Amino acid sequence: MEISSEEARESLAQAQDAAARTRKLLACRGADALFVVWGLVWFLGYLGTDLAPRLLALGKGGEDRGETAVWIVNGIWLALIALGIVVSVAVWKRRSPTKTSSGARLGWFWLLLYVYVSVWIFLLWPFIKVEGAAESVRFGRHMGAIEATVPMFAYVVMGLWLDHFMIWIGLAITGLTVLGLFLAPAWFWIWMAVMGGGSLVSTGFLIRNRWR
Amino acid sequence: MGRIDEVIHQSLRLQIMASLITLDPRQSVDFVYLRDLLKATDGNLGAHLEKLEAAGYVKIEKTFVARKPRTFVSATAKGRTAFEEHVAALKTILNMK
Repeated sequence: MEISSEEARESLAQAQDAAARTRKLLACRGADALFVVWGLVWFLGYLGTDLAPRLLALGKGGEDRGETAVWIVNGIWLALIALGIVVSVAVWKRRSPTKTSSGARLGWFWLLLYVYVSVWIFLLWPFIKVEGAAESVRFGRHMGAIEATVPMFAYVVMGLWLDHFMIWIGLAITGLTVLGLFLAPAWFWIWMAVMGGGSLVSTGFLIRNRWR
Repeated sequence: MGRIDEVIHQSLRLQIMASLITLDPRQSVDFVYLRDLLKATDGNLGAHLEKLEAAGYVKIEKTFVARKPRTFVSATAKGRTAFEEHVAALKTILNMK
């Protein structure tokens, strides 16, 4: 089969263009919806973490009900994370343009990461001594910051093998978390709801608009 | 040096193969996404995929996801080799002239 150099050049350009568009499609693969889902989980979770103790104190005329608040906050997070996992699996199955074993691998990676962190917290809990309400509140913030930066570290790791965009998201939200922890400790949970959750939701919309 | 492959050389089939080659060898792409990506129609894409399948270059798999029928397409090892040879032949033509 004989073809001209012009035809060969056009064919190569077409092939390169199709390959580039496919790479973009793979980078997106339903990630926009997943960012929005987890951004909302963060927003509602941190909002609940801030509001639950305040509302409890209001209801009891300012009486300290720290233990109850901790149980309520843990319940809110467990429910939201469980809901987030269910919605994520459904979104991935419906919207992923490709069928591959890497989706299941990523799911296991996230599950093992949460189990790993939970086991450490469970093992260390008896040895942690926190005395007084003020120290308890500060300790809660520090634990919250660690729990927020662990998934962000996972974003950075995933970014190394999926898309470098995720590395920047992970680093940016980690930076915002540290800033909020030290610059606005009294408003840390609200800060995390707006800046952390808001950043994830915004990233979802950014991906939707720019990568499609 | 590769050879010009008459099956792959057609414009849409070339783009289909270029797109599928970009995927991991164990990955397959949804027919609908491939159609939108290449700005093709259902009928057009389906016809060209049939030709590629007949040549043994692609594998078409029909399945159900959340009770909805979905079709996934992937490049075979034979298709990958043929595409690489085709691209090598195109590059040779450009270098020679």
